[in-house]
Amino acid sequence: MASLISCPHCGMRPKEEFMIRGDAAPVRPSAMASDEAWHDYVHLRNNPRGRVREHWQHVAGCRRWLLVERDNLTHAVFSVADAAAEGGQ
Amino acid sequence: MAYDYQAVHALEGTIGAIAERRANHLAVHRATAMAMVLASPGRVPEAVGILVANGDFEVRFSGPGEWLVLSEVHAPETLAAELGVRLGDAAFVIDQSHGRVALTLSGPDAARILANGVAVDLHADSFPVGRAANVLCHHISVNLARTGAQSFDLVAMRSFAEALVGDIKIMARSHDLSVDFATR
Repeated sequence: MASLISCPHCGMRPKEEFMIRGDAAPVRPSAMASDEAWHDYVHLRNNPRGRVREHWQHVAGCRRWLLVERDNLTHAVFSVADAAAEGGQ
Repeated sequence: MAYDYQAVHALEGTIGAIAERRANHLAVHRATAMAMVLASPGRVPEAVGILVANGDFEVRFSGPGEWLVLSEVHAPETLAAELGVRLGDAAFVIDQSHGRVALTLSGPDAARILANGVAVDLHADSFPVGRAANVLCHHISVNLARTGAQSFDLVAMRSFAEALVGDIKIMARSHDLSVDFATR
């Protein structure tokens, strides 16, 4: 069964229309931050089970970046919001 | 400066010359004036007002503050310039007249045929006449618009046109479909 994502601009759409960038938690360090901070940001990720916040892009629809909060075990989707509306986090 | 470009339709030589028009028909438009319009930040209402001010433009939703604009009044060569003059700095305009191909699928089974490749509810209650959306038709991104109870417009990138027509033929395998260039 396909996962359905409720795009705030386009309505209910199948996950095939989206591109998943991944975890929305890491915050980009400043340009002059230490190598360790950049290494963490670029390469290190937590791998939690359960509720996650991710950046998804609706490439085959409105092409907007979205913040999707979902459970990666049950595929339940809790919230979908435009990333710009969330302050570009 | 005048250049003498060769304008060849993306589907030239692959369709056409049908013996008879069937119950469901896919008409491929030869030359459609099209442009993408993206509103400047914070100026969406102003851009919408200009676009719908008179009946010159057919405005189809593409994304927030972004529309696919078609016109029967303006020629493919002049639509983008006309939009640019009217919209000023309220929006950005990019000509798509030769970049995309417009198809019209009509007939009693039009919605059923599309349902074989499009994962959007096409019932008239949830996708009424005038509604448009960017959707995935199999693996090809198209702008789908309902233009009547039994007719839909599909606009796809030019280089995907042949694959899209092939997909629609497969989607319509259990329905009666003919494909040809539109005559008008």
